[in-house]
Amino acid sequence: MKMKTFRLLLMTGLAAGCVLLAAASAFSQQKGQPIVIGAPLSTQYLYGWDAQRAMLLAVEEINAKGGVQVGNARRPFRLEVLDTRDLEPGVPLSEAMLVVEKLILEKKADVLMGGPVRSEAALAAMDLISKHKKVSILTTGSLTPAYHRRIGENYSKYKYLFRITSEAGQLAKEAVDLFESLKQEHGFDQIFIMVQDVAHARAISDIVSKTLGSKGWKVLGSEVYPTGALDYSTGLLKARDQKAQILFVWMDHPEIAILVKQWKDLKIPALPIAGISSAVEQPGGWANTDGAVAYWVASPANAGNAPSNATPLTMKFYEAYKKRWLVEPEGYGTSSSYTAVYVLADAIRRAGSLESDRLVAALEKTDLIGVYGKIAFDPKTHQVIPSYNPKEGAVGTWFQWQDGKRVVTWPATIAMGKIRIPPLMSPSKGATK
Amino acid sequence: MVPSLIIYGLINSVALALIALGFSLTYGISRVANFSHGALYVVTGFAAWLLLNRVQLNYYLAVFLAVVLISVIGASIYRLALIRVRGMPLLEIIVTFALGTAALEALRFFGFFGSNYSLPPLFRGGVTLLGVPVDTQRLAVVVIGGTLVFILWLVTHHTRVGLAFRAMAQDEQAAMMLGIDSDLMATWSLALGAALVGLSAIVLLPLSFIATESGANILVSAIAVCILGGLESTAGVIVASLLIGYAQILTVAYLGPHYQMIVALLAILVTLIVKPSGLFGKQKELEERV
Repeated sequence: MKMKTFRLLLMTGLAAGCVLLAAASAFSQQKGQPIVIGAPLSTQYLYGWDAQRAMLLAVEEINAKGGVQVGNARRPFRLEVLDTRDLEPGVPLSEAMLVVEKLILEKKADVLMGGPVRSEAALAAMDLISKHKKVSILTTGSLTPAYHRRIGENYSKYKYLFRITSEAGQLAKEAVDLFESLKQEHGFDQIFIMVQDVAHARAISDIVSKTLGSKGWKVLGSEVYPTGALDYSTGLLKARDQKAQILFVWMDHPEIAILVKQWKDLKIPALPIAGISSAVEQPGGWANTDGAVAYWVASPANAGNAPSNATPLTMKFYEAYKKRWLVEPEGYGTSSSYTAVYVLADAIRRAGSLESDRLVAALEKTDLIGVYGKIAFDPKTHQVIPSYNPKEGAVGTWFQWQDGKRVVTWPATIAMGKIRIPPLMSPSKGATK
Repeated sequence: MVPSLIIYGLINSVALALIALGFSLTYGISRVANFSHGALYVVTGFAAWLLLNRVQLNYYLAVFLAVVLISVIGASIYRLALIRVRGMPLLEIIVTFALGTAALEALRFFGFFGSNYSLPPLFRGGVTLLGVPVDTQRLAVVVIGGTLVFILWLVTHHTRVGLAFRAMAQDEQAAMMLGIDSDLMATWSLALGAALVGLSAIVLLPLSFIATESGANILVSAIAVCILGGLESTAGVIVASLLIGYAQILTVAYLGPHYQMIVALLAILVTLIVKPSGLFGKQKELEERV
């Protein structure tokens, strides 16, 4: 009898324990199961580590406020970053593909964010991500127009893919508008182009050459340098001999630091304007080049990557990043990666689910003010809608190194100063005080 | 355009010679193809940077200590690793390549990446030659490169160690019969080769920045120069540097910078097909005649 009672009690206890465990597990899944953001980033390069830092900052801020509302539960974000090494010369694209697959299959990422960073790798990953029906928001690196064009051409296949940062076509348009403003103000009409041999940079070189040619500019030369090139003297001297007034450079590899030094050493009398160019964008650019970067103009793509008052959130983000990482927002990929986490949180809240199709529908209806203006996606191509007015769309930013500081000089809507012309340029070439 | 091609072609050529001298010297004496050559270049740069910026040493003391350190590392590579596989060329290459790769990956692991690391120039200012502006640091590359070649000639022709080096280079077994310690000479050759590539790093890095990725480029450049000139020939290094240096500059000027990287690789390929011993090399001369 005693044994029977004991067995009965034991069985009841075990059953109750199982029920409690199941309930606790379900409760924890509903309450605290983290939402995994998988970030494939080239973490040893500026456009990788700055995106990682910015995402982590946003994740920490959101988690500190209790996480994201998903249906009836609040769930925190968890960031899983893996190094794609896709910005390193000589590393095959397959490395980045493996990382993307690992994030999806092993790390169980709910959403992908960040990269792959190199355009070629991002394009190659499109099919893989779509096959797994994972929502992906590109925030850094890949600028090729082919990315959003492909989404537009095959929406049903690629509808899970979004890009929240600028792209080559928009950046080329900004560059041309900037050159036109310099033409009006200083009379410049001769340009020499030097770009890196990567898809987005070649695309920008082509677009800028054609557009400027049709606007009466003389495009004196357009040179393509392999990734990792260590000497630019011949190209620079060509630009000097042909009397270029603007040197337009587009290189995202760190070796652009060499070009900056050579521009100064060779005393090239042309205003250097660089697009996405890591060593010029970074807050440490001045110290790293021993001041040779003075007068260089650069675009870190989106506002917020250099100090300005584009939106009320811009300097708030700027200061928060500085406080967290002890450095100013470092360049292209910073403000966009930070904003993307908030955009995702907003979409998850509205969708009430992490189910990909519902998330896609919610992201397509995004309409919020971010660090660099109003964030909304083109419904057909999922490309963030650009504008020069931060109240109407995502606004770009171009700054110049002046007295050791990055001063935003263009577009006029967010400018904090005016472009200065290098003293080497004689008055006949349009120099101003 | 022509004066700038002449001047910058010469600077590029001397830079290549500086990079390749150490590789050639080590191979010439010990017959070890040191595939950690590029890594030693990068490590010297970071060592000098650390001594300068973290230890806050005087610039000249920092670069001197960095070169001494790298030559000690070079000697250690021989004493601790290569000595066990000496005479087995494939293993020697594998060992040195593995050590170099490990060193570069370790640097990455400890956060040495990006464009934040650079050395200040040894010399500031510049001059105009034939209407072409040239900064003093680049002129220093030419002067230091020329001086190094001269010193190397003096050492190998007029000192006991240098003569022992040449004896080793000519016939190792005969040199051993004369009482020359083969392992000691090989250790010295690794140390000297490392010191030379370290010196080239100190002279050339202020023109760019210190990057782990450049290790591979440095190794390829050194190999291209040495294969074209002849693996063990200093004269060959000089001639091959001039040929490749000017070919690179002319390629950039007339074909486009995109093809610049191909020049060195093409030099290796063509030399190995047409004259495997190189322009001045004697290593495979007999086989070629046969």
